[in-house]
Amino acid sequence: MSTATINPSTTSVAEGPDARSEVKAKRFGSETVISTVILIAIGIFFLAPLLWLFFASVDANASARLQWPEFTLKNFTEAASADNMRALLNSAYISVVATLVATIPATMAAYTFSRHHIPWKGPMLLFILMLSGVPVSIMIIPLYEQFLTLNLLSLIPAAIFLGVTSLPFEIWMIKNFIDSVPSELEEAARLEGANTMHVLLRVITPVALPGIAAAAIFGFINAWGNFLVPLVLIPATDQAPAPVALYGFFGGQMVRFGPIAAYSLIYSVPILILYLAMSRLFRGGFSLGGAIRG
Amino acid sequence: MSNRTVAGAPAQPDSASPNAEPVGPRHDRQRFSKASLPLLGPAAVLLIVLFLAPIAYSLYLGFTNLKLTGPTARHHSFTGMENIHRLLSDGVFHQSIWLTAVFVIGSGVVLTTGFALAVAVAMQRAPAAVSGTVGIIVMIAYMIPPVTIAILWVAAGTPGGAITMLVGQTDSDLLHTYPMLLVSAANAWSLTGLAMLQFSAALRNIPEDIVEAAQLENAGAIQRFVRITLPLLKPTIVTTVLLVSLMSLANFAIVFLMTGGGPGTSTMILPVYSYQQGFFFNDLAYGALIGNITVVITTIFSALFVRFSRRNG
Repeated sequence: MSTATINPSTTSVAEGPDARSEVKAKRFGSETVISTVILIAIGIFFLAPLLWLFFASVDANASARLQWPEFTLKNFTEAASADNMRALLNSAYISVVATLVATIPATMAAYTFSRHHIPWKGPMLLFILMLSGVPVSIMIIPLYEQFLTLNLLSLIPAAIFLGVTSLPFEIWMIKNFIDSVPSELEEAARLEGANTMHVLLRVITPVALPGIAAAAIFGFINAWGNFLVPLVLIPATDQAPAPVALYGFFGGQMVRFGPIAAYSLIYSVPILILYLAMSRLFRGGFSLGGAIRG
Repeated sequence: MSNRTVAGAPAQPDSASPNAEPVGPRHDRQRFSKASLPLLGPAAVLLIVLFLAPIAYSLYLGFTNLKLTGPTARHHSFTGMENIHRLLSDGVFHQSIWLTAVFVIGSGVVLTTGFALAVAVAMQRAPAAVSGTVGIIVMIAYMIPPVTIAILWVAAGTPGGAITMLVGQTDSDLLHTYPMLLVSAANAWSLTGLAMLQFSAALRNIPEDIVEAAQLENAGAIQRFVRITLPLLKPTIVTTVLLVSLMSLANFAIVFLMTGGGPGTSTMILPVYSYQQGFFFNDLAYGALIGNITVVITTIFSALFVRFSRRNG
């Protein structure tokens, strides 16, 4: 794409094309060096705490120190107890329910906000945006009180609530993405007689899939990672998800960093796998430009 | 819908004529479509029942004497301004407001947005191997859950930990010497990936020919960044700053887990204080009131950002 636009302009440059391209090459060189240095510096800051996690998880003498490990797998066998594995399953259950509860309604609402005429659309969107900033803690206290009286202090209601806490932000993420999708595709479908539901399912959803996937990732992470909501809204210990189990590890008198690091890794890796799967979706999404030009 | 579009098609020459109203009604968007209702319904119902109703209930609870345990746990009553009076003379609360502002602006706005913008822009020029690796590391930091982040950063801030080594203070316990700085850094560490995604997507949407035209005009890197990239990114920067600062407040679990508001009350941001009052000191009503104040502050923050962005845009 870039070569196609460069070619006509370079041929139009009559005087000294060699000198010009030389200057350009040099400038590109120094920019590349500066960019690389900045990236590596920031990268080290982001990598260092992660490195500790990997080292400590396989270190027989694990402590808070960042040190070369004395290799062992004992931390993992200790972390993979039956209780801890059940906590992981509970986390999966909660997160899948929450992601569905958030992403499907959010996609429908985001499309409507992006394309339909809705009275007071601006104020409503601002209101939704403000909701996304409301700290969950303010809802934990009233929900605890209400769930207690309605006998709802258990896994599924907590999961549905976690989905709803992601809903406002997901509406915004998906709406922003659909906004950037040119309406030509949709108008073409409409001229061929497609109705709203059809346009949403067959035209918008496939094209906006990277945005919807990004929102779904956000929803999943939000539910998987939240520990205050399950801590308060799920009193039964056999329904407790992984972060609550991890908190139990961490809250003890003697903090044993080896098993903690190992369990943190087991708990965090599903998210990373999900991210890898989703990043393929992203790559597909950025070929969007071709769909309109072609 | 489709009928209207077809019917509107012959009328187009009219609206395209120079005498037509420049902001005339658009045939494809002019009316509220009934098709919007079922699409908005599910989100609306969920938000009303499980988001707005709890907030409304919380507003009420702030004026009661509800406790977690004891006689007023079952039968609480309305106590009027009692909690408000207590709040106004609560020194920890006053400090908490200041700490919340420091946390949101320092961590959310300055650190997170700064890191994310630097990474996203540098990624465009750096070799693919470096960009890819750093991008993945930053995204991992965003992906991993708050409890893990808290554990990582507690370890990183203790003597011999990863961050104490990086800043060359191997012997000091950063959680005690610079607790606010450490929780702010941990929060920024965890949110940069999200902001980076927004900036990278926006940078990709900047047409290449604009940048190339500037390059052919011998515009330097800084000039290109200030004159082209930054103005084109401005809408994204504004929304990202807004979202990241709101998320910093929502993301308080990291602070709660790392310090519990301490040492003393030195990292007692409002959401942590609300939780502490509600579930450690059993004072659900007072905790709800502090939570309500948090929502008011969040709303003010949002409104300020929106106004600021409109004035500039």
